[in-house]
Amino acid sequence: MDHSLVTEIRQNLESIIENFPDAIVTFDLDGVVTSWNRGAEEMYGFTKAEAMGRFLPFVPGFLVDAEREKIGRIRNGEVFKDYETIRQKKDGAILDASLTLSPLKDTEERIVGAICISRDISDKKRIEKELVRRNQELSRLFFISSAMRGTVKLGRLLRMILTAVTMSDGLGFNRAILFLVDENRGSLKGAMGVGPASSEEAFQIWSRLSLERKTLSDIMHDIETGPLRKDSFLDKLTLSIEISLSEDTILTRAVKERRSFNIQDVKAEPLSDFILTQQLSTQAYAVAPLISRDKVIGIIWVDNHFNRRPILDEDMRFLSSFSNQVASVVESAGLFEQVALAEQEMKNIFDSISDMVFSSTKDYVLTKINRAVSEKLGKPAEEIIGKKCYEVFHGRNEPRRKCPHHKTVRTGKPYVGELDEPHLGGTFLTSSSPIFDSAGEFIGTVHVARDITEIKKLEKQLIMAQRMAALGEVAARVAHDIRNPLVSIGGFARRLEKHLEGNLKEYATIIAREVAGLEKILSEILAYVRGVSLEKRMVNVDSLVEEVAGVMKSELDEKQIILVKSLNALSEVSMDPGNVREALLNILSNAIHAIGRDGTIIVKTAIENNYAVIEIKDTGCGISEEILQFIFDPFFTTKGSGNTGLGLTISHKIIEQHNGRIEVESKPHEGSTFKVFLPLESEE
Amino acid sequence: MKILVVDDDLHIQRLYKEELTEEGYEVVVAANGVEAMEMFESENPDIVTLDIRLPDVDGIHLLRQMKEKKPKLPIIMSTAYDYRDDFSVWASEAYIVKSSDLGELKSMIKRLLVKE
Repeated sequence: MDHSLVTEIRQNLESIIENFPDAIVTFDLDGVVTSWNRGAEEMYGFTKAEAMGRFLPFVPGFLVDAEREKIGRIRNGEVFKDYETIRQKKDGAILDASLTLSPLKDTEERIVGAICISRDISDKKRIEKELVRRNQELSRLFFISSAMRGTVKLGRLLRMILTAVTMSDGLGFNRAILFLVDENRGSLKGAMGVGPASSEEAFQIWSRLSLERKTLSDIMHDIETGPLRKDSFLDKLTLSIEISLSEDTILTRAVKERRSFNIQDVKAEPLSDFILTQQLSTQAYAVAPLISRDKVIGIIWVDNHFNRRPILDEDMRFLSSFSNQVASVVESAGLFEQVALAEQEMKNIFDSISDMVFSSTKDYVLTKINRAVSEKLGKPAEEIIGKKCYEVFHGRNEPRRKCPHHKTVRTGKPYVGELDEPHLGGTFLTSSSPIFDSAGEFIGTVHVARDITEIKKLEKQLIMAQRMAALGEVAARVAHDIRNPLVSIGGFARRLEKHLEGNLKEYATIIAREVAGLEKILSEILAYVRGVSLEKRMVNVDSLVEEVAGVMKSELDEKQIILVKSLNALSEVSMDPGNVREALLNILSNAIHAIGRDGTIIVKTAIENNYAVIEIKDTGCGISEEILQFIFDPFFTTKGSGNTGLGLTISHKIIEQHNGRIEVESKPHEGSTFKVFLPLESEE
Repeated sequence: MKILVVDDDLHIQRLYKEELTEEGYEVVVAANGVEAMEMFESENPDIVTLDIRLPDVDGIHLLRQMKEKKPKLPIIMSTAYDYRDDFSVWASEAYIVKSSDLGELKSMIKRLLVKE
């Protein structure tokens, strides 16, 4: 390729990276920053000049060891995708970040550093927390909304009221406008207007109505069932009106003084609203407040613009009592509308929450679920709602004792708990809040369940990494300060052994043998701390198991343990055979130890869902539930002294590095089953 | 055949020297980087065992210097600490963790010298 073209492409690439909004940082294998783009400057607050040549400045102090461990793994070619962690800005502020870390290679394919792309997800995290907090509050709204379903819609209700005000066999005014108080904005807003736009239109309507002979109840029925429109001249005008309650006018006084006004001559009333005189060119009008439960929720304004009939005291009495009648209906319809809006809003929020949110009755029947639930279960909402929650989520036919919902049902109190859900394949942080009806009766719960499987895994890795980093420093010193003298002691003891006779020779032999034992323990500890590096090739699983069984043969025979083999994997897996052999040997030797003497070990291999599975089952003493959770921990042992307690830890680590896993099942006095899963296709 | 043993631990130096001499090799020893390079030049060894942690220089640094001078000369990294996943160690012919049992070291030396 033309050299200048290469240069140009490189410059283009560099400029893209430089200006990319995500923070893109490269660093060498010591974690020293080698490039720092503009996104990184913005996200972390360090300028390029400040960051270059330093150890990753955005890693908070307490995570430095864990970060070095990550770099170590990158050095082995590992890639970390979308892993969430914590970062620190120059001003010390902590932010949540999602990172992708991958090795950086030179032209000879050697890993020389890493590239890290990070994205600030603090906002996402905060919103998620906020949503969980609102869960309980929203659960109450949920209830109100379902209780009020079926009530008349506000728009139609208002239309009925105003029509009643203007119909001749109603209150008989020419025009009517409804204003509602908007508490948030501190204003009166026009909600709806009824009446003709002009004298001609008024005349047409009146003559048509007298021809059709429609009664008030006919018209009410029409409004309830017909299309609802808000596009008449008066409606449009009305909707544009907003009067601040801080102004002093007749309309605002009707609200503040909670009384009616009958203005018989606009010109004589200086407080008349501009809008009424100018836009509606009214000459005389009346206003009555709508009072519900001691609160002014709005006002009704009327006039007789077209027939100029004066508004009399008896009209006012009629208007006031009508207002009192309708006020509470308007308020509850308004509430309903707000609830409906809130419900819609909540449904949107619900569906956009990545956590599963659902409500169930006290009889465990699911009543509402969000989109995350149907996505997680892979079923449409219709197939989930109405089912028992324990069937859907736990795949059981009775409630789980640990389930927060179950606890809330029994106690009526909110609950938060972590729950392993084998049925859903993960660990979930589940909160459950009770819902009560208006009588205070417990009717069900609302749940938020967050998949924390990944977080759990990360937590474990983090703790492990921190533990190991601390151990690593000790180990390096131990290696030099202990191994060298051991080599000398053991080495010279071996030399003595060669040149001595009788008892003295025996003493030298004892020293040499004990030193060899100590060296082996030291190596195990160091191997654990260093981590294990892999040299992978394709290996037949069955032959490897044969080989492992062969190594243990003499010990098995001596202890009269029968080894039954059923090898059906019949396939090759990419692995470091030395390491996997070590892992299997540790497990097998544990099985032998669990039996002691006289027993059976069954070793099976098979293929299950893209994994080669090696199962080692013994008839030994078994492991109690309390101990089971510790068996992979470093330095945990039940075998007494002379044992490092690293055997299973190393096995676990080796299999994990092969992207596999180890599962253990055990019953005290019956025996244990270890299952080693190795992926048939490595994920690299 | 001449072996250069580089190790700052004098007991280990002596152990290696006695054991390897018994195997019929001529053994010369160095306790630090400066001595090691001098011996490397003057003694012209056939094989080197090299400790990574030395008082003056890093054994890896010595490995590089020796390889630059004589790329074909077999070098065994013999250390107390497992540096196996340090890439630079890969430049050596062999790698061994020090042990009181010199059997593995001896067979390694034999194998590498035969290959020569």
